[in-house]
Amino acid sequence: MTAPSNMAEELSQLRRMRLVSVVEGCTLLMLVFVAVPIKQLGGHAIATTIMGPVHGMAFLLYIWTLIQTVSGADFPRPDVVRMVVAAFIPFGAFLNERALRRRQALLVSA
Amino acid sequence: MQVYLWLKAFHIAAATTWISGLVVAGLAVASRLARAGIQTAQDPYFLEAVRRWDRFFTLPAMLLAWALGIAMAMQAGWLSSHWLMIKLTIVGALLALHGVLSGTLRRLDRGADHPAAILFYAAPATILGIVMIAILVVTKPF
Repeated sequence: MTAPSNMAEELSQLRRMRLVSVVEGCTLLMLVFVAVPIKQLGGHAIATTIMGPVHGMAFLLYIWTLIQTVSGADFPRPDVVRMVVAAFIPFGAFLNERALRRRQALLVSA
Repeated sequence: MQVYLWLKAFHIAAATTWISGLVVAGLAVASRLARAGIQTAQDPYFLEAVRRWDRFFTLPAMLLAWALGIAMAMQAGWLSSHWLMIKLTIVGALLALHGVLSGTLRRLDRGADHPAAILFYAAPATILGIVMIAILVVTKPF
């Protein structure tokens, strides 16, 4: 592969990772702020029965894409640690999305 | 036919597709490791073909296997079973291995030539994992 195609490939991977981060963060928000209140206040357990597995799948895809992204590029070790830790804390995916956006901008400007 | 049997049939089909893709990815990385530093003619399309298969078949199969597996466990009431917890730990390790292999294939496709040496054992580790899962699922020992 040539250098420009390497760059395009890396940018495409970062875009995918950002998209998955946003999806994971949004499903967590829907689970915590929509499904759980519907269950607790309205007594409709079906909300969490649906949103729980949906968020679970989004989380798995996020973890997989994160591992794939850091395994396929030279990320500084502290960045990798931060991204992995963020994967396990609520709303950490949004922090990662911002960090990835910065990395993407750096790559484009380089 | 019961819904459970349909879930089980497609879960097994998806898991088989996922694991076979994982073995192919592991062998592709191992073959690169085996000839690291040796000047040999390389098929430029092989890695690309493995990567394409990984993206369009192996990854969707993995997600489908997880989704159907969770649906089966919920329907059968296995979520608190110890054997399922152990199985999920092994499947989680396979998910991580798949992510590492997929990232490594991307790196190799960009011209890198030195994948982590431990990945030489990725394919046998996958088979070991699936054997352990088969034993747990069939015998449900605890």
